[in-house]
Amino acid sequence: MQNGSCLCGAVAFRISGEMRDVLACHCQQCRKTSGHYWAATSVPDTALEMTRKGGLAWFRASDTAQRGFCKLCGSTLFWKPDNADRTAVSAGALDGATGLELSQHVFVADKGGYYALGDGKPLHNQFSGGEDA
Amino acid sequence: MHSGSCLCGDVTFTTSAPAKGASACHCTQCRKQSGHIWASAQVAKDALDIEGPLTWYAASEGAARGFCAQCGSFLFWHAHDEDEISFALGALDGPSGLKLLKHIFVADKGDYYDIADGLPQSEQ
Repeated sequence: MQNGSCLCGAVAFRISGEMRDVLACHCQQCRKTSGHYWAATSVPDTALEMTRKGGLAWFRASDTAQRGFCKLCGSTLFWKPDNADRTAVSAGALDGATGLELSQHVFVADKGGYYALGDGKPLHNQFSGGEDA
Repeated sequence: MHSGSCLCGDVTFTTSAPAKGASACHCTQCRKQSGHIWASAQVAKDALDIEGPLTWYAASEGAARGFCAQCGSFLFWHAHDEDEISFALGALDGPSGLKLLKHIFVADKGDYYDIADGLPQSEQ
């Protein structure tokens, strides 16, 4: 069981079951909304239980997915593709030790010029999306 | 000098002076709000022009965090007693010429990633 929340607490959630490895996404959309680049795990929708959602809002930046955030504190929280029953969840929103590992960087062709990646993890220019969200 | 915007474009900003002190912050507040790590640089308040409906959230008594309530982009951090304001490097449009200089609050970093770019790190 893993708990998580936004910064102000107006959105909180509980995850049951296994979480996917963390992906770091350097696409333009993730960079704009997070302020740097975004890191997320992913879980089946059935494993994600919202325990508080008073602040939850969704923004559709593309035709294929929505981005969930807290409208009261501006925390980046979720990415939900229309074609999969899974939700990507901010790794930074998870409380305490996660036991997760960042396993790859995606959309690195879009990364900012002001930082370097030196962790030796695989780099990909795209992300296949779909089942693993 | 620099220009940027949130994801939906409702909030835009420009700076009329060069920014300094580009850093990546690993504190719990920045991790919660950004979803991972927050990267920013500082500019004098009077050299920053912000347009659009920015919303501020105070997670502590001493500072406020500016974001777009339409799309959730985390854009600014301002300590009330400082003449400078920090803006998100991810919000910048086009090449900025800026380079990340350091990692701060690494004592609070998450357990799921390593900091491996060789830049200086400070606990606070």
